[in-house]
Amino acid sequence: MANNRYEAPVTIAADQLDTEFSRADIEFEGVDHSGASYEGRVFLNNPRADATTPLTPENGYAGTFHIFGHGGCFADDEEHCTVRPRRRYDPRPAHQLTPARKVVIATEAVRQALETGPAVTVKVVPVVRATTPKAGPEDVFSYERVSIVTYR
Amino acid sequence: MANQLVVRKNVDAADVASLRDAYAKMQALSANDNRSWIFWAGYHGFPQYRCWHHGRVGSDGFPYDLFLPWHRAYLQYFEHTARDQNDGARLAWWDWTRQTGIPASYSAPRGPDGKPNPLASGPMPAMPGSRARRTRRSPDVPANLPSPADVTRVLGLSQFVDFSNQLQDLHDQVHGWVSGDMGVIATSAFDPIFWAHHCMIDRLWYLWQLRWGVTNIPPNYLRQTLAPWALTVQDVLDINRLGYEYAGAVASSPPPAPRPKASPKSSPAPAATTPKRRVKVKA
Repeated sequence: MANNRYEAPVTIAADQLDTEFSRADIEFEGVDHSGASYEGRVFLNNPRADATTPLTPENGYAGTFHIFGHGGCFADDEEHCTVRPRRRYDPRPAHQLTPARKVVIATEAVRQALETGPAVTVKVVPVVRATTPKAGPEDVFSYERVSIVTYR
Repeated sequence: MANQLVVRKNVDAADVASLRDAYAKMQALSANDNRSWIFWAGYHGFPQYRCWHHGRVGSDGFPYDLFLPWHRAYLQYFEHTARDQNDGARLAWWDWTRQTGIPASYSAPRGPDGKPNPLASGPMPAMPGSRARRTRRSPDVPANLPSPADVTRVLGLSQFVDFSNQLQDLHDQVHGWVSGDMGVIATSAFDPIFWAHHCMIDRLWYLWQLRWGVTNIPPNYLRQTLAPWALTVQDVLDINRLGYEYAGAVASSPPPAPRPKASPKSSPAPAATTPKRRVKVKA
């Protein structure tokens, strides 16, 4: 297995969430999927989690999302893999590398995390699954926003 | 056979010989031939990158997730291309929830005929940074494949976008599990196991449709086109209209015993006749 890179944990002020809910999701928006493929293990209130941390509720394990990466930019021409803002009325499909949205259903993990206080720390540990000569194990995980969403 | 509804089966029950024959012929064709393995696999990632993964914003600004309908159409076109080489070829599904790893028919290095197994690997074109070669895999341990409980959970989600999102995550997990060329979008479709994996994904969508409704999809998805296929989302909702069905299970009788050969025909012997008797009748 390749070396892994860890994104810094993020703390969310969760006092706006319902105290009662039937389902809770952890949503990641703007996830980059241009490089290597990896498994994103999500931990709550465990900023020190790493690839060796057992996937148990006691360690704050909330679930996993998977990224099927593009494997790097297989084009010699410049800006082939650059995602540009989309023009209105453009009929073509959006750029293949438009960042993704990933949802982890984590109802019990969120419930457990909220019991300790109104702030929840989200830590993602990427475990790389497939690389190419164009996309190694470095810096696989980046995103724009993470949210906790509850449903009644 | 050519115009009947085809039945896609589990790889363990499928006509692997016909599929192997079709794939071998496709793989032997040159990359520029529009019947070839490289030509058709090239629609997904390198060099055409037509595949649809994760929600992408459509021309109206709405984040459509056409992962399932796009791949259903792709498999439909691919299967007909394979059937051009051997009409008995049917896509078969790899049930990875059995957690036994890659099926033997897709991993044996050689087929029963002793030739390289076209289900174990596929040809790849030269790409920036790599020469033309055959696909390679680096699978993880079987226990790390999705479990039956994972699938049960996903099939229980009643909203299409929610279901598609979670099923796509299991899909991503299996790509990463096989790893190697199956592990990334650019090269995954060149590996023959790609088609068996996506057949399973398509089957799971079908099972979900049986439970939650064939037309259970947001209305604004229906007219979305599935480029480059000449199909819309609405066109691919009902698999029977596409000409196929998924077998639930297959139980086969043993082949009938051969009939004994009839002995050579000869002229029938003349029937025995009773000599006539004259009977005197007394008045």
